[in-house]
Amino acid sequence: MEGILAIWQRDVIKFFRDRPRILGSFAMPFMFLILFGSGMSGAMSSMMGGASPDSPLADFDFVQFMFPGIIGLTVFTTAIFSSLSVVQDKEFGYMKEILVSPISRVSIAIGKVLGGSTVAVIQGLMMLVFVPFIGVSISFLMILKLIPVMFLVAFTLSSIGLLIASTLKTSQGFQMVVQVLIFPMLFLSGAMFPLNGMPAWMNVLVKINPLTYSVDMFKKVILEPANMAPALREAMGLNLTIFHQPITFAGEIFVVAGLGVVFVVLATMKFSTMEA
Amino acid sequence: MDTIIEVKGLKKYYKGTEAVKGLDLSVHKGEIFGFLGPNGAGKSTTINMLSTIIKPSEGHAKINGFDNVKEKNKVRASIGLIFQASTLDEKLTANENLKLHCKFYGVKKSLREDRIQEVLEIVDLTDKRYKIVETFSGGMKRRLEIARGLLNYPKVLFLDEPTVGLDPQTRAHLWDYILKLKEKAGITIFLTTHSMEEAEICDRVAIMDHGELIALDTPDQLKSKVGGDIIHVSTEANQAAKALIEERYEAEVTEDGEGLSFRVENGSKLLIDFVKQFDIPIKSVNLRRPTLNDVFLQLAGREIREENVSTKTSGNRNLARRGR
Repeated sequence: MEGILAIWQRDVIKFFRDRPRILGSFAMPFMFLILFGSGMSGAMSSMMGGASPDSPLADFDFVQFMFPGIIGLTVFTTAIFSSLSVVQDKEFGYMKEILVSPISRVSIAIGKVLGGSTVAVIQGLMMLVFVPFIGVSISFLMILKLIPVMFLVAFTLSSIGLLIASTLKTSQGFQMVVQVLIFPMLFLSGAMFPLNGMPAWMNVLVKINPLTYSVDMFKKVILEPANMAPALREAMGLNLTIFHQPITFAGEIFVVAGLGVVFVVLATMKFSTMEA
Repeated sequence: MDTIIEVKGLKKYYKGTEAVKGLDLSVHKGEIFGFLGPNGAGKSTTINMLSTIIKPSEGHAKINGFDNVKEKNKVRASIGLIFQASTLDEKLTANENLKLHCKFYGVKKSLREDRIQEVLEIVDLTDKRYKIVETFSGGMKRRLEIARGLLNYPKVLFLDEPTVGLDPQTRAHLWDYILKLKEKAGITIFLTTHSMEEAEICDRVAIMDHGELIALDTPDQLKSKVGGDIIHVSTEANQAAKALIEERYEAEVTEDGEGLSFRVENGSKLLIDFVKQFDIPIKSVNLRRPTLNDVFLQLAGREIREENVSTKTSGNRNLARRGR
């Protein structure tokens, strides 16, 4: 138990010590949210609402739409890239120090996943600094709900990251694989644009993408679709269905948690076979 | 005598090449056991198998009564390991590196502070405790690493080329501590080295070449097997001198860049006559006791490491410079 904690603690200490990394973590979300989002919002709302101010879609705000997705993006990338440290530890030798110690491989793997998840939650929360600039209202209760959701999502993504990291020897290789994986997953998750009227094959990919359910959870917490006009909810792509049934928040938690368990088991098994 | 390490038929092969070819040995509790051999002899592979880092292809070993394949975690808890390459986290402070190690090895909370202070004092890094390791010099990093290996008071301390890259002062300091540690805590030390000086300090030395054990005994015993004394001579005409020595003393003469050496019984008496009677002008001559290098030379037919001949024996700088 203390071994897990030590591994976790190391990742958290190193995160707070790395100031450039913390500052840099704002760059991507800033670009997407402010540059891309604000730039697109005019075009988006004129496409959606047309010119008529009476239309229920006149309320459509692309930046607000993107915000949960951007939190998602931050959490996903931080979590999955946190496992880069596993590859770096292999390269710089510290992995040997950990692997030859009496703590079990399972504890090391769990500690790593928890460390990555914690850092991802902290980074996700840091994205809330954008709130005053984009006109979303976030209550304290929402933040309380957001934290466990972020953690769950981060846990699943960290596990995927660890699974990849356990099979690779160089950090370049890891970065390449993760980038190839994360971009299509992001585009097909509904983080960047509403998932409406897609070709059928794409719809299948969307539905098997774990990030779809993760992003939808963030949207459900932040945008509160229950209080929206049905037409607006539809336009924002918030009526996610699976097998033609609307999926509930609890159902999404179940899906993401299930995937998390599968990947953490696979990652731990793969990690355990590693030689120092 | 109690055995702490028992090795039986240990083998490791990598894609056709045998790195270690069936090793049998036992290490006694509390001794300093040296593994001497040239680079690539299989020393590190052996230490890695004993410390459970790599799995043996065949055979097994018992460390502190635990099997190195079946009871990995128990073996790990009983040992300390210091690798050739650094395994510190350079982004953390010395203190953080040590604290993490205590946690990994389950050192009791109440003991941690004392242990950390103790090991830092030994390696003279007390004032650097809260500094980031990245800012340390190479020697300081090495010292910190050695301090870290001692934190859990291991039953066996494995040192893979421990003093490579350390200045002589730190090296001596470190050895003092290792010896003290052996006395005080009854710790067993298993080290690999290609340094003759370090091998001389060991209680017993195993000499390894091409993955095989070629000798195992105390340094004194090993040297007495070579026997006699070594005379090293440099003359105006080495070739002629070689023939002359071979004829006159019936000794096997080995040549190096600077001169000739040969082994004789009762060297100190013979040396006077040798100098008096030798017909070829002599540039320099000296007499020394055999070193472990001579043992290796005799057993393997070559030197362990050309540039690392014992500097203990004076007047031997010729030898040391050779081969560079």
